[in-house]
Amino acid sequence: MAMETAGLAAAAATFLSVWLGHVAVRFLEYRVARLWMARALFGVAGAACVAASLACSCPNGSVEFGIFGLVFLFDILELGRQEGRVREGRARANPDNPRHRPVFASGKALSADLFDREPAPPAYRRGASRSGGGEGS
Amino acid sequence: MNILGLAIGLASLGLVGFGFFWVVRLEYHLGWTWWPFVVLSGIILIIISLFIAPPAVSALVGALGASVLWGATELRNQAIRVELGWYPANPSGKRKPPFERLIRTMKAPDL
Repeated sequence: MAMETAGLAAAAATFLSVWLGHVAVRFLEYRVARLWMARALFGVAGAACVAASLACSCPNGSVEFGIFGLVFLFDILELGRQEGRVREGRARANPDNPRHRPVFASGKALSADLFDREPAPPAYRRGASRSGGGEGS
Repeated sequence: MNILGLAIGLASLGLVGFGFFWVVRLEYHLGWTWWPFVVLSGIILIIISLFIAPPAVSALVGALGASVLWGATELRNQAIRVELGWYPANPSGKRKPPFERLIRTMKAPDL
């Protein structure tokens, strides 16, 4: 039985592009003083991938380029959202980045990674394991 | 011009966006310790995509599987967001997963 690999290609592209975008957005927002440069980088990479996707006749290649392209283009918006998180004290600010100076001046700057730990074990409902129990509100 | 990639890319973005919604709900009702079952669901979806003939449908199911895998890595972060008070905690508690003791010995995925 022949297997269809377009799903595997889409899965790999989705996971890798979201992962890469996530890490790159945090890294670039932290390091880069002029955020428009990071936006331009994502814009160029995204546009190039979209163009390659449209031009590619192979379905798997088109799917991979299409997913990477749109995720990179979405990361242009995500950079602004990450900057907002830094301003609100929900993401790390960089003392060496002049763009973050107002955040330090406002006293909201976060210097530690809040997510660099395991969460506490959840409080479980009594007798709720597998056998059910009320759903609760 | 081949618009398949662009269409799947748009769908993939939508699926990942929807992932943020269901991760919040899943963490609220079940808790982050259910992550291995979410990982398993993602892997099963990707395997199913291999046996679907039309490339577009196969790609959609594959992208869905990857977004579920991504959601599994977000569950622990969502639990931390709840601990920080950014999202409401479930006052009636969470449902204990099967093999909970074994799961607690494993490190939850984080990217």
